[in-house]
Amino acid sequence: MDITTPITEEVASSLNIGDTITISGYIFCGRDAVLPKVVKLIEDGKADQLGADLKGNVIFHTAVSPAGVGPTSSNKLEIESSIEPLSKAGVKLHLGKGKISEKTIAALDKYNSLYAVIPPVTALLEEKTLERKLIAFPELGMEALYLLKVDKYPAIIAAAHGRSIYE
Amino acid sequence: MNNFDYDKTVALVCDTLVKAGSTFREDKKEAYRNAIKNEDNEKAKWVLETVLENAEAAEKNHSPLCDDTGIPHIVLEVGEDAAVSGRMLDAIKEGVAQGLRKLPGRPMGIMGDDSQRLDQSGGLNPDSAGVEPAPILLRKCKENVVRLHIMMFGGGPAIRAKTYRVFHKHDTQVVLDEIVKWATEGVAQLGCSPCTLAIGIGRSHFEAASMMLQAQVDGRYDVQSDMERQITERVNAADIGPLGLHGKTSVLATFLKVGPQRASGVRIVCVRPTCCFEPRIATVEL
Repeated sequence: MDITTPITEEVASSLNIGDTITISGYIFCGRDAVLPKVVKLIEDGKADQLGADLKGNVIFHTAVSPAGVGPTSSNKLEIESSIEPLSKAGVKLHLGKGKISEKTIAALDKYNSLYAVIPPVTALLEEKTLERKLIAFPELGMEALYLLKVDKYPAIIAAAHGRSIYE
Repeated sequence: MNNFDYDKTVALVCDTLVKAGSTFREDKKEAYRNAIKNEDNEKAKWVLETVLENAEAAEKNHSPLCDDTGIPHIVLEVGEDAAVSGRMLDAIKEGVAQGLRKLPGRPMGIMGDDSQRLDQSGGLNPDSAGVEPAPILLRKCKENVVRLHIMMFGGGPAIRAKTYRVFHKHDTQVVLDEIVKWATEGVAQLGCSPCTLAIGIGRSHFEAASMMLQAQVDGRYDVQSDMERQITERVNAADIGPLGLHGKTSVLATFLKVGPQRASGVRIVCVRPTCCFEPRIATVEL
């Protein structure tokens, strides 16, 4: 299934574990250093400072550097703990790699949000990355919050509606 | 060595680092082709095909296989009458720096004092060459040359690797059982499988880790010992699969190196579940 951001509630509801998807449009990129800061902005009611709307969006767990992009482990403490608050704020798809916990899978279900895994194929993703823009926390370098425009990033739904491929 | 040429050595090391970060060795490509042929799970097969396609694109473009371009780890082999000078070590260091800029390596070196480097408050060095290589491991070789192996170590496998003692009860199988247990746990959490398991067994944590490093230099996908084959087959039986999507191929192969052991009930074991791209390795004679 080809998905274009922003992702609607209906599209999120229609996807199931094991579904192969492609993602096109604008997506956020962030990882260990920046995601807790984004969560703090949301908690402080300052999400508008991000300069882009989280609702219906995708968070790709990656650095953005001259080396390209590629998923980091989503089960790292600071990344996995961001999944629930970001889902609550409207993020519909968390894109990364690695097994996530039952607690996180339940939190995703609560907010009709999804987790998908993407192969770490940096050389191929480079050809599908159309634009990249640093949008917040520039002092974090490659770990800052970025917005990418992408064309058909490949992924597989790994957690949806309380179930996961890790069962 | 008498004919040591600083500039030539820098250039050789630079190109070898780029090759390590952007290419699969032929035996690894063949291991992927065999895994694709034998995989029944369509999603697992798709991941394996995509990783191999990515390797072909990276090799063609001389670009990184993975955005986590890794920390350079070097093994230096020295022949009978060959010599390594301080100037040669300087040339190797400069070659690594130039290679990181050329690849390009991910600028992920942390700046600052001891405390700042721990909590990352010193900021990131924007230069790809700000990533310093790990200490060089030296060993002797039969040929009368100085041979350099560069390996690029990513962060995911480092999170899942484990170095710890095993009480062997004077039974090799006890050690293998523990390795399979650690590896299965690590591969399940890793995300970027299929793995190559790099394992070292020694008398100390340092020796076990150095054996793990040498296992990646010496290991071959098409030459597997009985112990290596057993470990691979048992971890694959856990049905983790590429990217955790299930299937036959959680592990492509195991590279195991057993060092000298002491009279004791304990063995020190280092297990690194390397990712789908590792070992990212290239070799050159200087």
